[in-house]
Amino acid sequence: MTIDMSQFYQVFFEETAEHLAEMESLLLGLDIGAPDDEQLNAIFRAAHSIKGSSGTFGFTDLAEVTHVLENLLDRIRKHELALRNDMVDAFLEAGDTLKAMLAAHQGGEPVAADAVSRVCGNLRALTRNEAAAVPPAPAAAEPPVVAESVVPPGVATAYDLEFLPTVEAGADAEALDNLLRELAGLGEVEVIERPAASTPGLWRLRLRTAAPREGFEDLLEFVAERDAWRVTEVAGEVVDADGAFGLFAPAEPVPAEAAYGFFEPLAAEPAPVVAEAGDGFGFFEPLPVPATSDEAPPAVPVAEEGDGYGLFAPLPEAAVPVAPPPEPETAPTAAPPADSRPRAKPAAAGAAAAESASIRVSVERADQLINLVGELVITQAMLLQCANQMNDAAPEALLNGLAQLERNTRGLQEAVMSIRMMPISFVFSRFPRVVRDLSSKLGKQVELKMSGESTELDKGLIERIADPLTHLIRNSLDHGIESPEKRLTAGKSPTGTITLKAAHQGGNIVIEVGDDGAGLNRQRILAKARERGFQVSEQMSDQDVWALIFEAGFSTADVVTDVSGRGVGMDVVRRNIQAMGGRIEIESMTGIGTRMTVRLPLTLAILDGMSVAVGEHTYILPLSYVVESLQPAAGDVKTLSNQGRVIQVRGDYLPIVPLHELFRVPGAESDFTRGIMIVLDADGAKAALFVDALVGQHQVVIKSLEQNYRRVPGISGATIMGDGRVAMILDVSALIDAARTTQAAAAVPA
Amino acid sequence: MDIPNQQNAAPEEDLVASEYLTFRLGDEEYAIDILKVQEIRGYEPPTAIAYAPPFIKGVINLRGIIVPIVDLRIKFGLGTVEYTPFTVVIILNVAQRVIGIVVDSVSDVTSLTGGQIRQAPDFSASFDTKYILGLASIEQRMLIVTDIERLMSSRDMELIDDAAAQ
Repeated sequence: MTIDMSQFYQVFFEETAEHLAEMESLLLGLDIGAPDDEQLNAIFRAAHSIKGSSGTFGFTDLAEVTHVLENLLDRIRKHELALRNDMVDAFLEAGDTLKAMLAAHQGGEPVAADAVSRVCGNLRALTRNEAAAVPPAPAAAEPPVVAESVVPPGVATAYDLEFLPTVEAGADAEALDNLLRELAGLGEVEVIERPAASTPGLWRLRLRTAAPREGFEDLLEFVAERDAWRVTEVAGEVVDADGAFGLFAPAEPVPAEAAYGFFEPLAAEPAPVVAEAGDGFGFFEPLPVPATSDEAPPAVPVAEEGDGYGLFAPLPEAAVPVAPPPEPETAPTAAPPADSRPRAKPAAAGAAAAESASIRVSVERADQLINLVGELVITQAMLLQCANQMNDAAPEALLNGLAQLERNTRGLQEAVMSIRMMPISFVFSRFPRVVRDLSSKLGKQVELKMSGESTELDKGLIERIADPLTHLIRNSLDHGIESPEKRLTAGKSPTGTITLKAAHQGGNIVIEVGDDGAGLNRQRILAKARERGFQVSEQMSDQDVWALIFEAGFSTADVVTDVSGRGVGMDVVRRNIQAMGGRIEIESMTGIGTRMTVRLPLTLAILDGMSVAVGEHTYILPLSYVVESLQPAAGDVKTLSNQGRVIQVRGDYLPIVPLHELFRVPGAESDFTRGIMIVLDADGAKAALFVDALVGQHQVVIKSLEQNYRRVPGISGATIMGDGRVAMILDVSALIDAARTTQAAAAVPA
Repeated sequence: MDIPNQQNAAPEEDLVASEYLTFRLGDEEYAIDILKVQEIRGYEPPTAIAYAPPFIKGVINLRGIIVPIVDLRIKFGLGTVEYTPFTVVIILNVAQRVIGIVVDSVSDVTSLTGGQIRQAPDFSASFDTKYILGLASIEQRMLIVTDIERLMSSRDMELIDDAAAQ
């Protein structure tokens, strides 16, 4: 193969990461007591895809681990083993190891070899132990094995054992010596072929034993990859060992070839392969017709382990001429002629559906598209304005065309923006795992309830919200939810609940992380705050007290655990969320629980704005903050201790933010009765913004001011208006904050 | 700052000529590396920015990019500050930013070799001499060769957030 595989690596990494994520979410969704077959199959398919593609791309370490994982999964799937919690743990751990290995291949930290071998050993132990404990032996679950039907128990049978040791085993002479010793314990061992010490190569042994084949098959698993070993029953000593593979044999013992299923001419022809102890991928497995086995010619490969994915390494002699690897991805042409099993079909269908459902486009291309559409929106607005200035002189066709253009532009804009939108489940999907791991670590019983996973938000936000949310959830688990005993004494169910909700609200995405735990302890926070030298008083509102936990270096946890308590989290959480243009609020009741609400802007690129005039300037207010506007009558505006000014709107006294004073705009209206008050609401904080006039409502493309200039207080960005001029977008929450803090300063005539 | 053309005037480089754009501010004539110049355009009234110093006139829309406009005449107190259809804005591309500067007039493009640029005497010009790479004279005119990138990204210009400014 001379194709440079590296060009596909990125796709491989992405796909594998997706498969791993899918596997994890499926594992977490499994009902341990009564696992759904379809789910098990789906997990298996994911694992199998990872194995297949990592083998194809030469990431053998990944393939190895997946392979071991797959073995156990397969037996669970076939109901040979009952699913247990520790198995799920082992699977999850293996998934983590695979992720780490994947990261290592992408230039991350290399994975410790002992961690990998521990995970594999764990999985193998689970696979093996149960095999002994559960009565139906693995092969017995399959159609009867020829060995058992032909050879009465107790009579020695000759087997040809061939294997290609794994790199580690090959380098470790002791492992192989052990194997030989153990095999010798079972019967008579004859070494037909062995490579020079410590060099990789094919081993060939002949074993005469009365022991069941499963016994030594397991031994082989220790030293060789699943696809890299083969056990062939030798029916009579005369048969040439090579013949067992059929491939090089004369035409006479055809069935050996047919054992690969692949070249089988007719579905009806009984296939002589009897035990398919491999992964049972269903696909190429011949009809399980045990009756034929008696008539089968002597040289029949009895156990065809593995899924024939041997093409990529193992048995040199056997592997080379074998047709393409029987995997749905790589061998789509190999329609299952002999397949009568329904379970193979979902695998094929699943693979096909995944291929057609999406295309991969680089983020840069999508962003370029978004920028271009942004320009188009501006141009369209300019044209519209030109036409409007022509008044009645504009031909009707032009106006119609422009109206059409406006509709299309808007549609295009929405469609293009939706490219960047992703459901928040991309983030949420990791939390069941976080909760599961942490709750068992902390000895708490916690149930995670999620809703609104399909809420969409900008990809950029998705990536940046993950860490803060993880932190909030860990915090809830560690500090919020009490231990089961404490919960019982408090009269609550021993199982705590963490709720994770996402929803659209106005122009925002609201994400709530709630728990039904102990709630925040006001006294303790205040005490801690005093200890840290913060300015606090007993009169502070709850809201202000809760906000203290976002201060740097603040933690009320009595014990610093590796989960939380170092106090370096919440301030980072708040900073990250603010950097995204969002904010976070806390509500808490002692004994009832705590709820943290994160509000994020829907997208970072476009907003619905209201343009207002102040002097000669036009400013844009994000529409989502605007509640109402009114023209104050004389006397509506009152002064407060001769400094701040307030206006009464429907019973509320709202602070007035005179924009012209704040921004020192010359020539603006300063008589309150001749301008407009716009009531703004930024997360509960209200204020009345005083401007000269309302101009209109537009959808504006947000342009960065900081790209070529610096941050300006009170301004969140800039945009380009229909006439090509630049208008500033107001940062409403900063304005309201400014109104509170600089009320005194602003009240002094500028 | 990486200004290979002018700063390291090694002897062999003395003969290598670079192109400079020269412009006038009052009676003084300045030269800046032409590679930092993106384009020259007429002045259009910019949108004022709150809390900006007087020499930052505001921002303009340059084909979809928001570009701040600095009036160097106000900044250095040179020339007459008036805006006519002939007022010129030089759009610079410095420090990964696009910035426009208002000057009295653009003179021409001159080739200067390293040898032609002399060390500036160490006294106060209208701005800190650390932004002056040297002086060059051509036909009785004295050109002040300016490190425009360093000047524009300096704290004095208030164009860049303090954290990022030098």
